[in-house]
Amino acid sequence: MTASSVGKPLDRVDGRLKVTGTATFSAEVAVANVAHAVIVGATISKGKITALDVGEAQRVPGVVAVLTHLNAAKVPGADKPTEMTDKVVQVLQNDAVLYDGQPIALVVADTLEHASHAASLVKATYAAEAAICEMDKEIGAGFAPKAAPGRPPPDSNRGDIDAALATAFARVDATYTTPCENHNPLEMHATIAVFQGEDHLTLYDATQGIFGLRKRISKAFDLKPENVRVISHFVGGGFGSKGSAWSHVFLAAMASRATGRAVKLSITRQQMFAFVGYRPQTIQQVTAAASKDGTLVALRHEVTSATSRFDTFAEPSANVTRMLYACPNVKTSHRLVRLDVATPTFTRAPGEASGSFALESALDELSYSLKMDPLALRLKNYAETDPDEKKPFSSKTLRDCYTQGAAKFGWSKRKPEPRSMRDGNWLVGFGMATATYPSRQSAASALARVKKDGSAQVLAGSQDIGTGTYTIMTQIAADALGMSVERVHFDLGDTTFPETPVSGGSQTASSVGSAVKRAGMAVRTKLIDLAVKGKGGPLNGMSAEQVDAEAGVLVSKQDRTKSDSYEAVLARNGLDQIEEKIDEKEKAERKDHSTHAFGAHFIEVKVDPDFGEVRVSRVVSAFAAGKILNRKTARSQFIGGIVWGLGLALHEHTERDPRTSRVVTKDLADYHVPVHADVPDMDIVMVDEVDPYVNEIGAKGVGEIGIVGVGAAIANAVYHATGKRVRSLPITLDKLL
Amino acid sequence: MRAHVASYDLVQPGSLREVLTLLAREPGVYRPLAGGTDVMVVYAGGKLAHTKFVDVHGLRELRGIVVTDDAVTLGALTTYTDVQAEPTLGREFPMMGQAASETGGWAIQNRGTLGGNIANASPAADSPPALLAYDASVELTSTRGARWVSYATYHTGYKTTVRAEDELVTRVRIPRIAPGAQGSRVHMFRKVGPRKAQAISKVSFAACVDVDGTRITSARVALGGVAPVVLRVVATEGALVGADVTTLDVAAIGATLSREVTPIDDIRSTARYRRRVAENLFVELTRKLKAHVGLGSQAR
Repeated sequence: MTASSVGKPLDRVDGRLKVTGTATFSAEVAVANVAHAVIVGATISKGKITALDVGEAQRVPGVVAVLTHLNAAKVPGADKPTEMTDKVVQVLQNDAVLYDGQPIALVVADTLEHASHAASLVKATYAAEAAICEMDKEIGAGFAPKAAPGRPPPDSNRGDIDAALATAFARVDATYTTPCENHNPLEMHATIAVFQGEDHLTLYDATQGIFGLRKRISKAFDLKPENVRVISHFVGGGFGSKGSAWSHVFLAAMASRATGRAVKLSITRQQMFAFVGYRPQTIQQVTAAASKDGTLVALRHEVTSATSRFDTFAEPSANVTRMLYACPNVKTSHRLVRLDVATPTFTRAPGEASGSFALESALDELSYSLKMDPLALRLKNYAETDPDEKKPFSSKTLRDCYTQGAAKFGWSKRKPEPRSMRDGNWLVGFGMATATYPSRQSAASALARVKKDGSAQVLAGSQDIGTGTYTIMTQIAADALGMSVERVHFDLGDTTFPETPVSGGSQTASSVGSAVKRAGMAVRTKLIDLAVKGKGGPLNGMSAEQVDAEAGVLVSKQDRTKSDSYEAVLARNGLDQIEEKIDEKEKAERKDHSTHAFGAHFIEVKVDPDFGEVRVSRVVSAFAAGKILNRKTARSQFIGGIVWGLGLALHEHTERDPRTSRVVTKDLADYHVPVHADVPDMDIVMVDEVDPYVNEIGAKGVGEIGIVGVGAAIANAVYHATGKRVRSLPITLDKLL
Repeated sequence: MRAHVASYDLVQPGSLREVLTLLAREPGVYRPLAGGTDVMVVYAGGKLAHTKFVDVHGLRELRGIVVTDDAVTLGALTTYTDVQAEPTLGREFPMMGQAASETGGWAIQNRGTLGGNIANASPAADSPPALLAYDASVELTSTRGARWVSYATYHTGYKTTVRAEDELVTRVRIPRIAPGAQGSRVHMFRKVGPRKAQAISKVSFAACVDVDGTRITSARVALGGVAPVVLRVVATEGALVGADVTTLDVAAIGATLSREVTPIDDIRSTARYRRRVAENLFVELTRKLKAHVGLGSQAR
C-alpha cells in the first residue's frame, strides 16, 4: 500500500498561488471589453422612490448605462425562490424600498472610477415610511416558520415538560439574546457576468455554490441551465453569505444583457452590510431543570429570530437543545418576527452558534444552582444515543473531548466560587461549553482520470472557500488512486465539471470527498483489471486481489519485484487515459444513525474589575470529528471558528439606528472583530475517531463546529471571573461595570 | 461609497513658505493633509465633504525631533513610530511612546503624524492626554509669524481649536525638567478599550505627578473620551497638589474628578460606563502613587 496522504498536515496545494497573489479570484479574471458596475443603495429603510434623477450621472464621461426600475428589464424569477438557499432579490423591478442600502440603481461605465463617481450623482427622492428594526416592537406578531424540506420542524416536544418542572430540584429560567452579525469575509462579493448573445451566460462569481447559482440564475432569466456556466476557482471566505445568489449577481447579468458587454460588479465593504445576508438577532428563553444529583429533567428552548418583511430565514437555534443531552422532557420552538431590514441568512454554524450560547449558558447557571462542576453536569447527562432522533450515533467520542480537553486545560484547578481566582488585579475565570454540529452528506459527483504520462486529473464542481478543499481532495484522490499527491491535479469551481452541492453546512469534505474517493478507487480498479487481464505485462494472469497500487505503480503482493507502472499499463493497452465518473449518494447506513461531530471548549478569561476589559487568555478545545483529513487545514478551520466565537462573545454587533432602521456600523472600523493581539495561542486537540457509517471517507466536517459553544464558554468564564452573568451578547465593557 | 478622486483638488507646494502663502491667500479653502490616516478613511467612505487639500507631508521643515536642555521639540510630521524610537522621550516622557504604540496598527503608526492628530482634534485621540499631562505647547505658524500656545488652551470645543485658518501646526514642544528638580515623577498612561490593539478608546488617561518625599508638588491629569475635548481635570489636579500621598482622600478627590468629566452615551459606550472608568482610573493612579512612595503593592 502507498503510504497514506490523508491525515497528514500537507501544506495547501494552492498556498503558493495565494501567498504570491497569483490565485485568480472572481473579480480578477481577465475578461475582454469589461465594463464596471456600481450599485446605488437606498438611503431609507422603507418607502417608495418618488423620483430618480440620473441625468448628471449619465453625463459622466465613460458611463455606458444607468439602470433603474424605470428602464430595467423584467426578471420574473427575482422574487420566486425555489431552493432552500434561494433569496428574494431586489433588482430594480419596482419603486419599493424595503431596507437600508437596497439597490435602487446600477451605473455601468468604462472604469470603476467613472462608475463610482456617476453612482454618487444619482439623486433619489423618496416617500419614506416609518421603519422598524427593533424586535420587541414586533414580537406580538411572531409566527412559526415553515419547515424547510429535509430540515427539522420548527417545534418539538418530547415527554411532559410541565410535569417534570413541577418536581425539579433546581431550575433556571433565563432570556438570552444574540445580536445581528455580518459575515465580512476578506473578499467582498463579486461577479463578472458575460452574456454571449441572448441565451448564453457565463458568470465568474465569488460563490459557495456554483450549481445552486446556475439553477437560480437560469430559472430567473429563463435560460437553459446548460447555457449558464459558473466559474469560481478561488473564494476569499464565505461563511454562509456566499451560499445564495444575491441581488448583485442578477444585476450584473442584467447589465451585461442590457449593454452587450461583460460587466464586473464588486460590491463595497459598506454594501457587505446591506444586501448579502447576516446572522439575525435572536431572543431565546431557556428553562433548564434538574434533580438534586444533576440529572436533567426538563429543557425548554423558545427562540425568536428576526427576518425581513419579504422573505423568510429562521435561525434554528433550538435544534441543538433537542439532541445534545439525555433529557426525557424537552420542548423547543422557533418563531419569527418581520422587520424593515434585509433578509438574514446562514452564518457559520447557523442555529448552533447562537443557540449553544443560550443552552450552554443556562447549563452553567444550573451548575451553580446545583453546586456542581459544570463539566460534571454535562457528563452526568451524556447522551449515549440521539434522544431526539432516537437512533445510535454513527460515532460519538465527546467523552474523550471532555477528558482530554479538561486535562490539558487544567480544569481541575478551577475554584468553584465566582470571583475567587486572580492574577494581580485581573479577575480570572474558567468557562467551558460543549460543541456539536451535524455531519451532513449530499449527493455529489466526481471524475478521476489517469493519463498516459502517469499523472492524474480529478474534477468535481465544488468550491474552495478558503477551507482547503483543493488540498484535502488531492490527498483523498491520491490515496484512492494509489498515487503520490505530486502526480495528482485536482480542479474545481466550474459547472462543466461533475455536479456537487453547496459548500455550506460543513458538507464538502463529506460529500465531495466521498465521490472523489470512489472515483479514484474505480480508476485504480480499472487499471488493475487491465494489468491482470489486458495485454501482457508482468502482472498478467494474476487475480486483482493480489495486486497493490503504490505511488503510481502496481505491485504483486506476493512478489514485490513484479511491478507495472500506470504509464506502462496504459501504453501497452494503447490507451491515452482511463477515467471514471462517480455519482455518489448519501451513504445508506446514515439512515439508521444520527451523525454529528462533537467537541468541548475550555476557556480562561481575565477581566479587569475596574474597567470591564475582557481578555481571553487561554483556549483549549478538543474535537471529535471523524477522520481528520489534513491536520493542518483542519486545525485552521477549528481556530478560525473559535476566533469568530471570540468575536461573537465580545465584539461583533451590527448596530442600527432605531429611528431609521439604517445600519451605522458599516465598516471594519466600527464593526469590531478580534485583532491578532486578542487571540491567544490555541491548543486544539483532535480526538481520533473511526466512523464507518457517516460517509465513505469517515470525515464529519470541521468548517462550523469550531464556533459552536465559544460564546457560552466565554460568557461562563466571565461569570466565573466576575460573578456577573451577561445574557446578552456581545459582552461589552459597559455590561461588566 | 468611495468618493470620486477627480472631485478633489490636492496641491503640493515644495516648501513651508509656499504652503503658508497659499493658506494666507485663501484661508480655510485648502485644508492641510499630512499622513491622511483620518482623511482617507472619510474619503473611502464617500463622506469627505471638504474637497481642497494642501499636501504638507513632504515638507522637510516639519520633520525631526530636537532635544535641547530645556525641551524636546517635535516636528509636526513626527510619526507615532518616530515617537516610539526617540530615546529621550522613552526615558523622560514614557507616556508619549505608550500612547503612540496604542494608536492604530503599525501601518497607521508609520503614516500618522502628531501634528495631524493635534489639528484633527478628535476627543478620542490617544496622544493628546499625554501631551496635556506633559504640559506641551504647540507652535502655530502663518505668514504673519509663529506663535506658541499651551496645548492646554488649544482645544476650544468639539473638534474646534484656537488655530486660525491660515495657520499650520508646525512643532510640538515638551518641556524637560532637570533631574531631581521636583523630586520624583510618576507617569501613568492607560487606554481602556474593547480590544488589545486597534481599538478606538472608550476612555484614555494620562497623568504626570511629581512627588517630593510623600508630598505631591505638581500634578497634571488628562482624559480622552469623557468630554467634547481632551480634558485636563484642573480641579482634581488642584486637590492633589500639596496633598500627602499617604493621607490622600481618594473618595473626595475622585468625586471632584467625576464632576469635571461630562461623558455622553454614543455608539461606542455609555456615559455611565465612561464616568465609572474615569473614576476607577483615578483610583488606579492613587494606587500607583502609594506604591511609588513605598505604601502597599503596585497592583499592575
